[in-house]
Amino acid sequence: MRFALYCVLLCVIPAPILAQDSGNSAAETTIRALEREWVEGQSRNDTRVLDLIFDNNLVYVEYGRLVSKGEYLSRIKRDIPLTDTISFEGMTVHVFGNTAIVIGSYQEKQPHDRRHELKRWRFIDTWVYKNRHGWTLVAAGSSPIAH
Amino acid sequence: MKSLACILLIACTCLVAYSQEGADRATQSKLIALERIGKLQACQNKDIKTLDSILDEDFVHVDEQGAVMTKAQLLSFVQSADTLIFLTDAMIVKLHGDTAIVTGLFQLKGAARGKPFTKQGRFVDTWIRKGNGWVAIASLSTPPV
Repeated sequence: MRFALYCVLLCVIPAPILAQDSGNSAAETTIRALEREWVEGQSRNDTRVLDLIFDNNLVYVEYGRLVSKGEYLSRIKRDIPLTDTISFEGMTVHVFGNTAIVIGSYQEKQPHDRRHELKRWRFIDTWVYKNRHGWTLVAAGSSPIAH
Repeated sequence: MKSLACILLIACTCLVAYSQEGADRATQSKLIALERIGKLQACQNKDIKTLDSILDEDFVHVDEQGAVMTKAQLLSFVQSADTLIFLTDAMIVKLHGDTAIVTGLFQLKGAARGKPFTKQGRFVDTWIRKGNGWVAIASLSTPPV
């Protein structure tokens, strides 16, 4: 009887934990892909892709300034398409149910006096899972990494 | 009969929208109060117990120099600082169900190991609803423009 109970417990208890783990891992994979999609979309000036990724109430801090989704998309539209300006150094995704935090760092190549200046940034992005939209970026910002 | 049903439906919709708006406003006020309790009171008074209850165990902070701090590191910094005086301004709360983003301007004046310092810029905090309350899971500070 005891053995049967153990078997039942072993089968039942890990199930939600496993389900949670696989759910978090799927969310993590999706979010990592979206982070890359964002960078690629930005380098191609593809505002349609960015429009799908960003929430309409996005809180975005760009170079210390708070900008709306509309302002950010307009800026991207005006920019000259660039490739390899941003390269990720690494990121960690923490999933809290329907919310996820991404912390990481990247290098940015900025034109400066006919040369390219390399700047390193640490960022925090917040993603929220919304019905009908999936994972959507609701907040993002970065700080320059001091040498 | 049809028009009466329509009026009732519109009235119910308005009532639901109005009560939702009221609930959102109450949540926004609560989050601004929590920001003030955390930054203005708990940091200044080295109230670790309050900070511990406001910050999630997995809380992460990125400061304006790009340095990462865990909850334990942040609490230790507050505990060991000689003085910490926070000022906040222009706070905005954006709600996304059980997630909230609070952004605003900050100024931090303090001293650590006898050395005075001043920091200022913009913060972006992420809060999630846990049980009956809210906890902060991430905080980013960026330097001023």
